[in-house]
Amino acid sequence: METNTCKQCTQFFPVPEGADDYQAGKADCVLEKEDEKGKYWLSKPVYESSQKCEAFRMKH
Amino acid sequence: MNQMVSAKVLEYRGKTLNFTPEDPAEAKIPAEELHEHLQKPSTARTKRLKDRCRWKHASAGEFIEKSVTAGIERMRYLTEAHKASVGQPEPIRRALGLANVLNKSTLVLQQDEFIVGYHAEDPNMFPLYPELSHMAVQDYLMSDYSPQPASEAAEINEYWKPHSLQSKCQPYFDMKDLGRMYQVSSMEAPSFASGYNSIVPPYETVLEDGLLARIKLAEKNIAEAQKVMTTFPWNGTTGLDNIAKIDNWKAMVIACKAVISWARRQARLCKIVAENFETDPKRQAELLEIADICQRIPAEPSKGLKDAMQAKFFTFLICHAIERYASGYAQKEDTLLWPYYKASVIDKTFQPMDHMGAVELVEMERLKISEHGAGKSRAYREIFPGSNDLFILTVGGTKADGSDACNDMTDAILEAAKRIRTAEPSIVFRYSKVNRPQTLRWVFNCVRDGLGYPSIKHDDIGTAQMKEFSKFSLNHNGATDEEAHNWVNVLCMSPGIHGRRKTQKTRSEGGGSIFPAKLLEITLNDGYDWSYADMQLGPKTGELSTLKSFDDVWEAFRKQYQYAINLCISTKDVSRYFEQRFLQMPFVSAIDDGCMELGMDANALSEQPNGWHNPITTIVAANSLVAIKKLVFDEKKYTLEQLNQALMANWEGFEEMRLEFKRAPKWGNDDSYADPIITKFYEDIIGGEMRKITNYSGGPVLPTGQAVGLYMEVGSRTGPTPDGRFGGEAADDGGISPYMGTDKKGPTAVLRSVSKVQKNQKANLLNQRLSVPIMRSQHGFDIWHSYMDTWFDLKIDHVQFNVVSTDELKAAQREPEKHQDLIVRVSGYSARFVDIPTYGQNTIIARQEQDFSASDLEFLNVDI
Repeated sequence: METNTCKQCTQFFPVPEGADDYQAGKADCVLEKEDEKGKYWLSKPVYESSQKCEAFRMKH
Repeated sequence: MNQMVSAKVLEYRGKTLNFTPEDPAEAKIPAEELHEHLQKPSTARTKRLKDRCRWKHASAGEFIEKSVTAGIERMRYLTEAHKASVGQPEPIRRALGLANVLNKSTLVLQQDEFIVGYHAEDPNMFPLYPELSHMAVQDYLMSDYSPQPASEAAEINEYWKPHSLQSKCQPYFDMKDLGRMYQVSSMEAPSFASGYNSIVPPYETVLEDGLLARIKLAEKNIAEAQKVMTTFPWNGTTGLDNIAKIDNWKAMVIACKAVISWARRQARLCKIVAENFETDPKRQAELLEIADICQRIPAEPSKGLKDAMQAKFFTFLICHAIERYASGYAQKEDTLLWPYYKASVIDKTFQPMDHMGAVELVEMERLKISEHGAGKSRAYREIFPGSNDLFILTVGGTKADGSDACNDMTDAILEAAKRIRTAEPSIVFRYSKVNRPQTLRWVFNCVRDGLGYPSIKHDDIGTAQMKEFSKFSLNHNGATDEEAHNWVNVLCMSPGIHGRRKTQKTRSEGGGSIFPAKLLEITLNDGYDWSYADMQLGPKTGELSTLKSFDDVWEAFRKQYQYAINLCISTKDVSRYFEQRFLQMPFVSAIDDGCMELGMDANALSEQPNGWHNPITTIVAANSLVAIKKLVFDEKKYTLEQLNQALMANWEGFEEMRLEFKRAPKWGNDDSYADPIITKFYEDIIGGEMRKITNYSGGPVLPTGQAVGLYMEVGSRTGPTPDGRFGGEAADDGGISPYMGTDKKGPTAVLRSVSKVQKNQKANLLNQRLSVPIMRSQHGFDIWHSYMDTWFDLKIDHVQFNVVSTDELKAAQREPEKHQDLIVRVSGYSARFVDIPTYGQNTIIARQEQDFSASDLEFLNVDI
């Protein structure tokens, strides 16, 4: 059975080398949200091997 | 109904003064909707931001916007770090806790915003602080605002119980005494249980130095200390001091690095959104500009106004909401931002913009603060009805050489406040006779628009206080005479030093309340509280039959007051003892020059004593004493027993008697009977007894009389009082304000009364409500300016104004949805009127609306 990880998600943005918090495989997961007050974006640290979450969107 | 702003006429010095609106267009606006026509956001962006603002206001303890809840991330990551760091030095554990929160927490970026950063994982959330108060978290767990998953939050809260400040402090007190404090009727609950706090962050070092420079300083200090420890000949009497210092400096380095990394994560978020989500090229460019700022700031010194505003906001979030909770927004904003305003607006050397660009930036700052959620307990949400927390910045005043400190940044701050119309942050203006007219006009414009701020503080009095407190400095490094001019309001009322060091870091130095009205009530019942808690609330100070004279009543009250104030201050100092051992603030310490130099935690180092405590409900007690003296002891119309019988019946069946007590002379009327008694009450007991106490910092504690929303809360817990008040009615709404509706002799009689209290006071809040037509007329500024100069000459510490008509307030009660922009001054803070519970709204309506007679204008020497 195929198991998707964060690395395959369109919202997965690797932390660039040289950043203070750089670690191999570490990334920012950036989600766009919208409610009655407007759009906002959330960013949290994830790793490429992390299991996909409900907001997973496969890269094409 | 639908009455126009009235045109009023007054004969004065041979002239007929006509009080038609200064702006003729206003004559067409119905009086009951005036304030809905006053906002003028400077740009379409700030209008949009206001329209979609995620307010966190609470009313009767409940959040008004339904989507607001507590987040779990801060408590989760703090706890994770605490468990993982067992065995390490405590300051380092605290730094690792902060770092874990900053490294792992979710960042938020919102549409349209330019100042970025938030303190919870969603813009509708706010963080909680189980390490400060597990009872406050427990309250959330039982509410609709509980963090999710609730089971995880409950487990975290359980973990912190033995580690919390409350658990550490409580064993040193008798539970009987603490049980009395937890009633919050004669004393505020101890801060070690509530977690409520305040601070003046040394923003200056962040903006001027940048955090990379602070890290270098700490690393240099560590190296030097380590060198001392290895140098021959070893001296154990001094060498061992380096252990604690090294731990503190190491903690500072960890904290500063974590903050830089967190800001740079924010930079990455902006860049990712610009490059992957945003389609508008203009906004894309702006997001990249924000990304550039957050990459540099607060690591490096600020170079322009955008830098400074962002660095200030990041620092605010850490000091007030992430490292530890603290209420307030204390800063001398115009002085702090002036070099950056000059660079961007005048010299245009970095981040060039015009003056209106600065105004827009301040409007955006105000909206960021309006969205800021505070994880306070229900009790502390209830006492600030209509607001989200206390946010108060200071402008104006004088420089070290005594010259005017107002500048164009001051005007930008005031103009932005007038244009955007938000209740938060409130503004304090330090009034001096040297302040430039153009800035005074902006102050007036805000006041007459009914914002309730700036509240005005006497510049000379605040400066003199800083000099006086400096004399008690334990390390002989209190404020110099020049530095004494560098003061801001720490919260609503008390001045405290701002700058690179010597600022107040914890509320255990100054803050917290004592309630004289309840103390008087129990004085008449041998310390027993029959009306609310049904318990012995204070020491036994004599049955009624033993109180043979007014002096006996006076001295019995004194004993009740001594007991209560001693307990209040000792609980704060015990909190301070444990704060510096288990609640260290490595980031705050890193940005304080004193802590950096001495290797000390910010909770431990006190260079400038600033002890204060807030008496709230003083005037109910004082008016009651006046009535007792007059009707019981002077005129002997009633005995104390008869009075007590009427009080125990809540005056039911004693209406004629109640009216006599109600008609007894009252404070605020320049009354020759009442005023000497009340003045002595303030100076001899309220201030006199308090200042006998020496606090942690070695200085005296002085009264800072104010009220916030506690005049309602505590009024509801205070039984009927001899001033003719029914049990449960609100108390007086300011530290020295006349009781609502009892100041019948005009605004200058109030000033004359209040000016009589001078000795043993730190600050006293004076609430005044001024006539809308007069203030909005062409003569409004001249009258207000003369009023302020007279107030200044009378050496009164403070005044704040409501300029709103009863018609408009009542219209807002009828149709709240049409009055979303109506702001009022509650007490020490402003609030959206429709967000205040009806009980509180009615207390504001009941305040005396002061008109000005010709004799008032004469007294003020108004030159028209």
